[in-house]
Amino acid sequence: MIEDATDIVCDTGPIIHLDELGCLDLLADFKEILLTVSVVEEIEKHRPVALRVKLPFRVLRAHHPADERLTTMCRIFALDRGETESLLIMESHPDAIFLTDDASARMVAERMGFRVHGTIGVIIRAIRRGRKSPEEVLSIIGSIPSRSTLFIKSALLKEVTVQIKKEFNI
Amino acid sequence: MKTVQTEVPEALYNKAVALVNEGWFRDEKDVFSEAIRRFLETHQSELMQKFVRDDIEWGLRGND
Repeated sequence: MIEDATDIVCDTGPIIHLDELGCLDLLADFKEILLTVSVVEEIEKHRPVALRVKLPFRVLRAHHPADERLTTMCRIFALDRGETESLLIMESHPDAIFLTDDASARMVAERMGFRVHGTIGVIIRAIRRGRKSPEEVLSIIGSIPSRSTLFIKSALLKEVTVQIKKEFNI
Repeated sequence: MKTVQTEVPEALYNKAVALVNEGWFRDEKDVFSEAIRRFLETHQSELMQKFVRDDIEWGLRGND
């Protein structure tokens, strides 16, 4: 059963990558897209057009951490300000999903017990949510190397494609 | 040991120098070696594959 859409806390990467792929609108069926001030600054610097897309964005200021382990891990894994503040927001919104394409940030999020996914997951989810056909998603996945700055090795992208084709008998 | 010549932003270099001056590292080379080692630890191929496979599973069969 599909639950009601949840909030997401979004790092800079997925916003930029989804916009480069022309499918930032896939975030429209999340309840709210929570962004930290530093993530907004990063998007404004690298892809300001992405913030003009009509989506349920809400900008939040990061609070002081309740769990010191979080800030310690952010330092150990050398996370940048946007990633660290996003994880602090996750701490106060534990039911939200954290979206990041950064491996270190994802690792810290998992260790903190947060739900975390990346751009690939959002694109594939569009089939399940009835927003894209499997064929449309395959086309988007296939265009990642040429249209976006998201780097995923080609063998892994092929694996994604094979899985989708297998799932939908394409 | 391999010698690598590269350019880094001045602010980044200054931070590395500050760590050396504070006595945390022997020299800047140690700072950059440690930084690269940590980066490589969190960007292992198996780990990246796991993240993508988790995303496929969530994308296809998640409930949110």
